[in-house]
Amino acid sequence: MKKFFARLNYTKSFNVLKKGFWLENQVAIAVLGICSSLAITNKVENAIAMGLGVTFVTMASSAFIALIRNFIPSQVRMVTYMVIISTFTIVVQMFLKAYFPALANQLGAYVGLIITNCIVMGRAEAYAVKNPARYALVDAFASGMGYMIVLIAASTIREVLAFGTFLNMPVMGEDWVPWTIMALAPGGFFIISLFVWFIRDRQQFDESK
Amino acid sequence: MNKYVRMMVFVGILGTVSGGLLFGTGAITNSLIDANADALLKSEVLTAHGVEFNFTNIHDVFAESTTTIEVEGEYEAEPFTFTYYQDNANGTITFGFGPTFGGGVWGPIIGLLSLENDFTTIVRISVLQQEETPGLGGIVATRAYLDTFEGKTIGLGDDAINIIKDLDVLTAATNEVRSITGATRTSTQFDIILNNAYVAHRLVWEARA
Repeated sequence: MKKFFARLNYTKSFNVLKKGFWLENQVAIAVLGICSSLAITNKVENAIAMGLGVTFVTMASSAFIALIRNFIPSQVRMVTYMVIISTFTIVVQMFLKAYFPALANQLGAYVGLIITNCIVMGRAEAYAVKNPARYALVDAFASGMGYMIVLIAASTIREVLAFGTFLNMPVMGEDWVPWTIMALAPGGFFIISLFVWFIRDRQQFDESK
Repeated sequence: MNKYVRMMVFVGILGTVSGGLLFGTGAITNSLIDANADALLKSEVLTAHGVEFNFTNIHDVFAESTTTIEVEGEYEAEPFTFTYYQDNANGTITFGFGPTFGGGVWGPIIGLLSLENDFTTIVRISVLQQEETPGLGGIVATRAYLDTFEGKTIGLGDDAINIIKDLDVLTAATNEVRSITGATRTSTQFDIILNNAYVAHRLVWEARA
């Protein structure tokens, strides 16, 4: 088992995964996707839906960009990313509305908000345009999941304190006085900042180096 | 020169591919999206009217139990078709509210308002579409919040439904409902939309009678 993990450590895919999940976590280390993190982490179900949506669009757009990377003229690369990302986001939105109308209704504006998530554009520019499609796919998956893990952790704390519930199930008893501030953006800012500090501290991350 | 020609060709191909992808997805999903919207509207109307149905017989049950009344009129000097769904058995009346009567904070709030045949007592309110802040204004679409309107009354002038933000001012009056905690703007907008839609529909309904 030890040998297996030692060998795993030398594979590119494993290292890409490790970076996306932890070492270069998009929220805590790269400080990307903060706007959506603040907005939607007041409920765990929102965090899961947004995390899955961002992961899918990042994977689809990164894979597509990696496939056509040798043909993209550098002058229009940003516009190209935007067109591809918006196209996939709209496709996801249409499929959800057609085949999963209840879920689409619950997600409301989240799906459209994926277009504005810096992580999708960030992975396209930092990784997908320079690497083969299979690694771009792994990188996008890891980045999306790293984002989702932080979102779920932050939303768990916020939902419990703000509403006394977890996944809409009461967990704090009837006498619980909701911390309304936790449902608002300042509460999100406070919790996300704590996570940024915690993850950076665990990694002994120093921005100046 | 070659560089610019290459760029133009690339942009043309990208536009065609993404346009084709969206067009193709639209062709596959549009009819399903319309059918889902139609089924959702009918299911909400039938639920409000207390008619039992399932998703295999919804269209037949709707046709048998409900009369759809369309009246051509004007709203704010613009031509507008007022649509009412009246239950054949108990006379419950349902009509829609949407962007014509006011918008939400981030986008339209579209839904249905069902009243007893006195055109005053609220039977049920449903929000079919909204883009409010998830977890805050988004609560406007939750059944738990909408159920607080059940049995309340709505009327003209001073009898308009009143969504109260200050709990110290909230009384037991039948036209007062508590606002959403932490979502003052959504509550205010929802108040405006409901009252505008009600007044317009009531005046047209009475003129028709």
